Amino acid sequence: MSTIELRNVSRWYGNVVAINDITMTVGPGVTGLLGPNGAGKSTLLHLMSGFLEPSRGELTVGGAPSWRNPDIYRQLGLVPERPSVYSFLTGQEFVRATARLHKLPDPDRAADRAIGIVEMADAQHRKISTYSKGMRQRIKVAAALVHDPELLLLDEPFNGMDPRQRLHMMDLLETLGDEGRTILFSSHILEEVERLSGTIQVIVAGRLAASGDFRAIRRLMTSRPHVFLLHTSDDRRIGSALIGSPAVTGVEMTGRGLQVKASDYGAFSRQISGLTREQGVQLRALLPEDESLESVFAYLVDS
Amino acid sequence: MFSGQAGTVASITLRATMGRKRAFLFALPAVVLVLVTALLKIAHPAAPNWPSAILGAFGFAVVLPLTALIIGTSVLGAEIDDGSVVHLLATPVRRSTVILSKFAVGTVLTMIFVAVPELIAAVIATGGLTRLAEGLFVGALAGSVIYNAVFVMISVLTTRAIAVGLLYLLVWESLLGNFVSGARILSVEQYSLGIANSIASDSNLNAHLGVVTAVVMGAIVTVGALALAVRRLAAYSLKGDAV
Amino acid sequence: MTAENGALAGAGGVIHDIGYRRYTGPRLGRPAIVRALVWYSLRSSVGIGRGAKAKIIPVIAFAVMCLPAVANAVAVAQGGHRVVPYDTYIFQLRVLIMIIFVAAQAPELVSRDLRSHVLPLYFCRPLRRLDYPLAKLTAFILACLALIEIPLLLLYLGTIAQAGGPSAIWDQTRALIPGLLIGLLWAVLLASIGLALASLSGRRAYATGSIAIYFFLTWILAGLLDSVSGGRGPVTGGLGPATAGARLSGLVSPFTTLDGVRQWLGGRSRGPIPPPGGYGPLYGVMFLLLLAAALGLLVARYRKAAIS
Repeated sequence: MSTIELRNVSRWYGNVVAINDITMTVGPGVTGLLGPNGAGKSTLLHLMSGFLEPSRGELTVGGAPSWRNPDIYRQLGLVPERPSVYSFLTGQEFVRATARLHKLPDPDRAADRAIGIVEMADAQHRKISTYSKGMRQRIKVAAALVHDPELLLLDEPFNGMDPRQRLHMMDLLETLGDEGRTILFSSHILEEVERLSGTIQVIVAGRLAASGDFRAIRRLMTSRPHVFLLHTSDDRRIGSALIGSPAVTGVEMTGRGLQVKASDYGAFSRQISGLTREQGVQLRALLPEDESLESVFAYLVDS
Repeated sequence: MFSGQAGTVASITLRATMGRKRAFLFALPAVVLVLVTALLKIAHPAAPNWPSAILGAFGFAVVLPLTALIIGTSVLGAEIDDGSVVHLLATPVRRSTVILSKFAVGTVLTMIFVAVPELIAAVIATGGLTRLAEGLFVGALAGSVIYNAVFVMISVLTTRAIAVGLLYLLVWESLLGNFVSGARILSVEQYSLGIANSIASDSNLNAHLGVVTAVVMGAIVTVGALALAVRRLAAYSLKGDAV
Repeated sequence: MTAENGALAGAGGVIHDIGYRRYTGPRLGRPAIVRALVWYSLRSSVGIGRGAKAKIIPVIAFAVMCLPAVANAVAVAQGGHRVVPYDTYIFQLRVLIMIIFVAAQAPELVSRDLRSHVLPLYFCRPLRRLDYPLAKLTAFILACLALIEIPLLLLYLGTIAQAGGPSAIWDQTRALIPGLLIGLLWAVLLASIGLALASLSGRRAYATGSIAIYFFLTWILAGLLDSVSGGRGPVTGGLGPATAGARLSGLVSPFTTLDGVRQWLGGRSRGPIPPPGGYGPLYGVMFLLLLAAALGLLVARYRKAAIS
């Protein structure tokens, strides 16, 4: 049973709430943890991997709490984000040492297998200090896989990888997920998560903003109108021209400028400059009111 | 490379500690001690009890604590500082195994870099394997154990382990220990001197504690420090990066 | 985003003119850079601009260093005499405070930049290679100077406030000047050694450790050598017979070297080591050697092209 369960988990540092009342379940397959920088993805992964204590709530991994429980690492592998590894060891020594620490019956063979999976066999006899960033990531993944864990947590695994390495890592994670393992990885890049995971968990400012199937969430996002604020030389004129466009769902004259709600962001942005030229109106500023990922996801939280 | 969990931890620690240029720094105080002793032996200084003064006041008050500080804080401190200890802790190895293995490595290294040079210097100074030399050797061995336990504990408790350790040594042991007799009961230097004195019986060592007190307190401090270190390591937390 | 027409258009691509302007005003040049570096280094060596925690050690060091001056001034105000000498001050206190201050603050100036690899940013400006360590050194010398001289001045002011007439004031001034000069030597030597040792490591902990260990180890050793050569006990001695060994013991430590120079130059107050007598010039040479070694180390360290 390799699921991670969180129930009303919160974590704060003094006045700063890093994780705010999150309830979620992570099951077998590949799950992506998505969110902007500073949202709390690393904090959440540290909580799950037993390297941070929840200030409140219950967090169990495979049924047992992860905090102060080293036995959990028999089924769990962690690939942390910080690139610090024992750089004076060779890749092979590092993975073999990890295998021994897991008390595997045949540590050397397990290490060779793991190194083969991440395709680091050529470089395994070199010191880790000579590795590139992508190679270090891969050797960390090898160390996390050496004991054949059912759960794998990866913190920003694609950081610093070139496209070929990234594709390879994605294939690897997909294979592992298909084998029934529970894989959770974090990223702030939409495209990475899109390609790889079926399920995503979106975390924004410490709160769970959305969970579930990626495509469904995407649709939810695009079905919401985008809001812009325009500063023009003739708001009313441009407003009446805009309401005639099918891409626009609403126009409002506010004290701050002309607020436009557009359902089709692409069509609107293509049309606006042509429209202003036609009407002889000078467009001074076009400010999106909800461009940031955060406010987009805020819709999801409110809805 | 040793096998088994403890052995793996120990061998990684050994390579990490000895691999850098810091190993040079370990040897330095001891080299100074031996050199100074040798030079003094040749120079025939006026004071007849100069061996106990140099080997006691310099060896036990300066060389032993400072070398133990550098060694004791680097067996664990550097890994905690750059976060690579996570790789060690993300395995089912018992936290006590981690602490004890590292403590063992630090203690043995300190014994090699302090107790042995202390013995050599004592033999040079006193012209043979006298009671003073034996006493100092045993005292240095005991001091290596106790100091390493304290400094490993400090490394787990704070990221500024060297600064805290220096404060302890300079302010508590040197300053207060010389002037406030109550502070002596909590001074590792006094435990080491007490043990050394029980064999050497040399009043010039300025040992203020009897051997029973020294051994008992030394044991309590060692066990207590290591237990605290294990507890805190079990609660080792990764601060989330701002990303 | 302002929707303006592109300034440069080609087939399939356009570069927008978003109003970027080059700076065409006056540029201050190298002297201003060096001055700014000195000023900001001085601030950070006393903890200004770094948050409350960074000020703890400088403030405490300064306060403790001033204690004897203030205490003596109060005593003088109540009819006593000035007992604290200008040229040695309270020697052990100075040693302790300077060890703590230099060991704690030198890494702040130098090790931080090494750790965060910002030196290339400095050197891609019109700043010569040697300007950087010299600026840092100037700042740190000034900080140490303040720490040493201000208590002396406090002592002086407290004493002359109760002085009876201009000749008494003149006497005090004549006693003060050599003390200030010796203080200058202290600041220069200790700041140089501290920065040189700190520049060896990017980790502040190790820098602090090496500085403290060097100063402490040599200080204890000097005292021991003195006592073993017949002086009166470690680090409070200088009372025993002035054997050759006792006279030479001070060469081991920068603090006692400074005191040897003081006595050689005519200082009369009692210090930790017996008067060097004929060995006086040796102390002068040692002082210069230590200073040269420290400066050389600093220069060599920052000249290395691989500094980044």
